[in-house]
This record gives sequence, structure tokens and C-alpha cells, in this order.
Amino acid sequence: MQHLTEEQLVAHYYHDDDAPAAAASHLLECPDCRAQYETIRRVLTLVGDAPVPERGDHYAEEVWTRLRWKLGARRRRMQWTSFAAAAAVLAIAFFAGVWWHSRGSRTAPSNIANNKGPGVVQSVAATSQASDRVLLVVVGDHLESSERMLAELANANPKQTFDVPSDRAADLVASNRMYRQTAATRGDRRIASLLSDLEPILVELSHAGKTLSPDELGAIQKRIESKQLLMKVRVMTAQPAPPPSNSNSL
Amino acid sequence: MEVTDLAAVSRARSGDSDAFRLLVEKHSRVIFRVAYRMTGNEHDADDVVQETFLRAYKQLDSFEERANFSTWLHRIAVNCSLDLLRARSRHDKNSLPLTDGRDDEEREVEIVSSDPQPDRLLLSAELQKHVAAAMEKLSGNERTAFVLRHFEGMPVEEIGKTLGIQVNAAKHTIFRAVRKLREALEPLVRPNPCNT
Repeated sequence: MQHLTEEQLVAHYYHDDDAPAAAASHLLECPDCRAQYETIRRVLTLVGDAPVPERGDHYAEEVWTRLRWKLGARRRRMQWTSFAAAAAVLAIAFFAGVWWHSRGSRTAPSNIANNKGPGVVQSVAATSQASDRVLLVVVGDHLESSERMLAELANANPKQTFDVPSDRAADLVASNRMYRQTAATRGDRRIASLLSDLEPILVELSHAGKTLSPDELGAIQKRIESKQLLMKVRVMTAQPAPPPSNSNSL
Repeated sequence: MEVTDLAAVSRARSGDSDAFRLLVEKHSRVIFRVAYRMTGNEHDADDVVQETFLRAYKQLDSFEERANFSTWLHRIAVNCSLDLLRARSRHDKNSLPLTDGRDDEEREVEIVSSDPQPDRLLLSAELQKHVAAAMEKLSGNERTAFVLRHFEGMPVEEIGKTLGIQVNAAKHTIFRAVRKLREALEPLVRPNPCNT
């Protein structure tokens, strides 16, 4: 008598075998195979008995509430694109002004007379540093405010509800979007990437209502931790601004 | 039933968010169950549910109407879970093991103990830990194939499609998962000699 293999026994258990009648008949006749089959059945019953945590009656609603804002954010992105374009124009105008001012005050008259010389390269570099400083200083204030909010969230008791400062969060969302767009336009990937990581948390907070349930708080804390957001923000805010350019070199 | 899903997908594609809401309400519990079986963690499962619907919404245009929406959603959930498991395994390499320092033999003695008044809750929690530990030893594909076949009752053909493998390979993946679970859990299901 040829015994059934373990693979055949597993396939028989799940009714995935090609000849179920033959396998069933063999199991009736063969105590060894029956014992093997019984062990597999017991193991799979044990695994199947492992419970899944219950979700509340309003689970689907909760999922939808959280999801709705994310989907809404996607739809609103088009509207924000127009806003971001306007912000980018303003930012470009601002940095052009800084550049113009720096060029006027630092460039030697000979370089102005001959704007094809190396002085142009130096003054562009100086301009870039100046605008870097401006961006870091301006974003620095925003990052410090965001850091305070992240720290409040990260240190909150996950077993209690959390009072959401939704107005503060909404302000931060608006400024975050503007700075992110500006940083992206300027090619500052580091700042843009950090702001991009930060934004979903701020959006969620701004739309979370007055309080977060312990589950919602726990989920946000987990996201902050998994992305190491608080640490990244702290590192960025602790970073000194680039040193002022040496006007003597111009 | 599927017509309802398809109609909702069609409306959601044209920007009707209430239609997508119907899909979320109908499928979120099932997706949570799959995500929990895949990740073994409640909070991770909640994250997977969110991510699954978000990805589904973004990819609605790529959904083929002749396909089954539920299977398509399961596939996304499985991928989200696998992404999370991969991220977790990178992140948790230094985390503490599930065991509490006692060896397997000691645990086994405790579990098959013929104590006339066993603490059933404790025993049940202990068994669950063993099951969770055994499940963690499965590879991503094994875990996916097993969860979909054993808990979701998904046909092997669908599992093959979900994993992007042939039917026979899917069958063999399920078998490998069961063999690993058997190796880990067989001592716990042996008939108690004291009762025989």
C-alpha cells in the first residue's frame, strides 16, 4: 500500500487534491496516514482558533472618516497647485529681490561694468547662500512650532484621549504646504522631503475634530515613530544656518 | 453583489466619493481581518486597512471591470501588509524575541500539563503566543498563501494570481507553510497521554 505524502494530506485537507475520493478511501484503510492527517488537522484547527481582535460597530465609519480627509486632500491638491504656483512666483520674486540687493551692495563697480567676469559667478553663489539662510530661518520657525506639536503628540498618554489643537494644526498645514512648494521649487530636497513627511500628520490633526481617541492617538504616535519625524525635525531645527558670505571675497 | 461593487467602482471613478464610501464600509472589516492575520498586530492592521483603501482609490483606474473587486482589494491589502512586514523586519532586528527566556521543553511541559485546574485563560494566551511565533516564521509568500487559503478560503488559482505564481507553486507554498506550522506546533496538539 502506497502511503499518502504530507503534501497530498495537506491538499486533501483543503479539498485541493486531484483525486479526493481515492485519498479518502486510503485514509479509511491506513491508520498511519490517518494519524498523520489527524495531526495536520489538529495543528490547523489550533491555528484557525487564534482570535482576531474585535472592531467596534462603527469601525467602517471610523476608517472612512480618516480616509475621507486623505482622499479630499488628493482632490484639493489641484486647487493647492494654483495656490502653490502663486506662492512660488512670490518666492521667486522675493529671492530675486535678495539677489538684486546682494548684487548691488557687494559687486565691485568693475564687475557691474563687465558682467561677464567671474564676479557674476561669485555673486550668484553669495545670492544662493543668502537665500538659503532666509529659507532656513523662515522654515526654522515653522519647524519649531511643528516640533512642539509632534512632541506633545509623542509624549501624550496613549491610553487617554488627546485634545487636538486643530486651529494650530490648520495654520501649520497652510504654512507647511507653502514652504514645501518653495523648497521644492528651489531644489532643496532635504527640506522639501521633511515637510512632505510632516504634512500628512498635520493634515490629519487639522481635521481630527476636538479629540483623538486612544486608538487614533496610538496610530499617529506609531507613524511619528516609524518615520522618525520628531528626530528629523529636531535635527533640522538644530542645524545652524549657512555662514554669511564673505563680502571681501567679492 | 459583485454588480454593486462594480457599480460603486464606476461611480467612484467619476469622482463620487459616496460610492467609494460604500466600498470602504462593505470591505473594511474583511480587510482588517486579513491584515491582522498577515501582520499579527492590531495597530499595524489598522494602518494596513487605511493604506489599502488609499492605494485602491489611487489605482481605481487600473481596476479591470471583469475582475473581482474583493480579490483585487485583497491583493492590495496583502501587498501593503508585506511592505509593512518588510519594513518591520528591517526596523525590529534588535527587538526582544517573543519567548520569555524559558526553553521550549519547559513551555511544553506547562502546556500539556495535566493540572486538574489549569488556568484556561493563561493557557489560551500561551497557545496564541506559540501560534503567533509559528506564523512569524513563515516567509512573506508562505504567510500570504496560508492566510488566503486557510482563513479566507480563497481558491488556489486566485492565490496564484495574487502572488504572481503558478497554481502548482501556490499549492506548494501552502504546503510549505503548513509543514512549518506543523513542525512548530505539533508538540502542542499531541493527545495528552494522561487522558488516554
